[in-house]
Amino acid sequence: MIVKYFATIRTYTGESERRVDDTPPTLGPLLETLAARYGRPFRRAVFAGDELNPEIIILVNGRNVLYSGRLEAPLAEDDEVSIFPMVAGG
Amino acid sequence: MYGWTGTILRIDLTKGKVKREATDVKMAHDYLGARGLGGKIIVDELDPKTDALSPDNKLIFAPGPFTGTFAPSAGRYEVITKGPLNNVIACSNSGGAFGPELKYAGYDALIIEGKAAKPSYLWISDDKVEIRDAAAIWGHDTPDTTDLVRAETDEEAKVACIGPAGEHLSLIANIMNEMHRAAGRTGVGAVMGSKNLKAIAVYGTGSVQVADPDRFKAAVMNARKLIQAHPVGGAGLKAYGTDVLVNILNQTGALPTRNFQDGYFPTADKIGGESLAAKQLVRPKGCFSCIISCGRVSKVDNPDYKGFGEGPEYETAWSFGADCGIDDLDAITKANFLCNEYGMDTISMGSTIACAMELFEMGAITAKDTDGVQLTFGNTAAMVEMVRKAGKNEGFGAKLAQGSYRLAESYGHPELSMTCKKQEMPAYDPRGVQGIGLNYATGNRGGCHVRGYTIAIEVLQNGAVMDPRVTEGKAGLDILFQNLTAALDSSGACLFSTFGIGGAELAEMLSALTGVEYSLDEFLRIGERIWNQERLWNLKQGYTTADDTLPDRLLNDPIKTGPAKGEVSHLDQMLPEYYSLRGWDEKGVPGKAKLKELALN
Repeated sequence: MIVKYFATIRTYTGESERRVDDTPPTLGPLLETLAARYGRPFRRAVFAGDELNPEIIILVNGRNVLYSGRLEAPLAEDDEVSIFPMVAGG
Repeated sequence: MYGWTGTILRIDLTKGKVKREATDVKMAHDYLGARGLGGKIIVDELDPKTDALSPDNKLIFAPGPFTGTFAPSAGRYEVITKGPLNNVIACSNSGGAFGPELKYAGYDALIIEGKAAKPSYLWISDDKVEIRDAAAIWGHDTPDTTDLVRAETDEEAKVACIGPAGEHLSLIANIMNEMHRAAGRTGVGAVMGSKNLKAIAVYGTGSVQVADPDRFKAAVMNARKLIQAHPVGGAGLKAYGTDVLVNILNQTGALPTRNFQDGYFPTADKIGGESLAAKQLVRPKGCFSCIISCGRVSKVDNPDYKGFGEGPEYETAWSFGADCGIDDLDAITKANFLCNEYGMDTISMGSTIACAMELFEMGAITAKDTDGVQLTFGNTAAMVEMVRKAGKNEGFGAKLAQGSYRLAESYGHPELSMTCKKQEMPAYDPRGVQGIGLNYATGNRGGCHVRGYTIAIEVLQNGAVMDPRVTEGKAGLDILFQNLTAALDSSGACLFSTFGIGGAELAEMLSALTGVEYSLDEFLRIGERIWNQERLWNLKQGYTTADDTLPDRLLNDPIKTGPAKGEVSHLDQMLPEYYSLRGWDEKGVPGKAKLKELALN
């Protein structure tokens, strides 16, 4: 699985993408693993308490996880996960 | 009057006469200003059969009631005219500082009529209005024109002007103000050029009167607080500009690529806002009274594309980038600077070049047509050269300067012009995002995203979310956005203030400013009125339901690669409901009951 970061998320991670070898079954554990790696600014960006932060946009293969279970969204080995902060328009 | 100045300036360039008129109070209350007021004047005064490039067309510059106040991002004005690209009511929006200066000089609108006998410019300093000789500035690019006009008038004057493209009557010519802000679309620059009008310089010593200063201040401070707290309005746009959209649209699979042949561009990251911030950004910049500061002051050091200016916006990075198969940000930014200097709409210019690239690759045009240039997708130098040629109206550039519809049609392939009602669609693929496709198809000025920016909900999670791949609920979503935006565009506020505030906050500020009570419902009804007004004009131009459509490619050719692979637009599932919810018949004609409700003839 590959996780891609965009905009300010890159400043929290210090990189624009990361390959993940052990694909967790759902999004929640993946974000936990990444938060443990990147620290508090990343954690605060993706979580709001125990929930997915409403100001984060996460796509799995181009589909917003809001439509596939949020933190329960299932993940597969070849998936591409993209993480954006809420961004612009125009 | 409060908010409004109460005065309109009518300038007859043929006779060289200037007339001051009182702003019609009822018209101001019912249409607000800018887009709505200008549109109403066009509807009332212009014979629908008028040739858009004839002296009979009227060219209106109109700010809104908010313009020039300290309401957030209150710097907007519109240029309204019969658009030569496609005969609609062209209502092109711009920021900067020109609009506020018009208010300070004392005007709710400038109505420019006729045609000057020779190249001229207007110098408006409060009550004093002069029509001056522009022989010395005709032919100059927009930055030089601005400098030269200020030197002859006042260094503090704000200048709106055309570049060589408007002088050549390019159907995609724009009007630039403060050198870097554009009233971009639908060929408004050509109308100005057709009147032999090179520039307008304005300087004002007045101010905007507020009906209830305490209430206005409270409403404004609340609005500013909401925008500041919003992740986009308060931080995101300042950090990355609109170009930050490249990656999210690409990762959604809806970044139109190579003239909409595909929806995914593998090297998109090289042209997105992150790359722009890292490589070219000098500093962010905001318009009058704006804390959002989405503007980019940028520079390119690469000697091949050296330049300094503002931009590119997302639409521009897309049109010269993914749409042309190009991932060289230096070249894209240079193309952006050139468009500003020559005075051309970046969306239509890039999309027209992309159309030409497809025609070239399929052999419909050859190097003989393109002055020896190998105009293929990905050919960076060719793209930049074509922008220059179009700006100068030279060789093949003269064809490009008339937009993709006329270009493609002249070579027997109108289906390859990615337009709606002859205006180029912007940077969102309707096959990957259903609601924006409906907006393109029903847009009164043709292919346009800003007049019904459903992307905010379908992709950007701004306040609400709707799945971009479904059609359910999109008709209602489009209508809401189109109505709200029409009212907002007529008020003088900036569209980006909606990253933070909505109709309720706008209505409250407007009420406090003008002393006229506007509920949210009334504010939206004004927007609906303006939308229907534009629709009625289009029907008179001969537009029918057959024109509320998308290119065949988007209806029938699935996206080839990326996350939205296999998708097409399902416009047919949304359009009937759209008509019905709008109170129109099955042919898209507004019904009598709806017109009565909106007080339209």
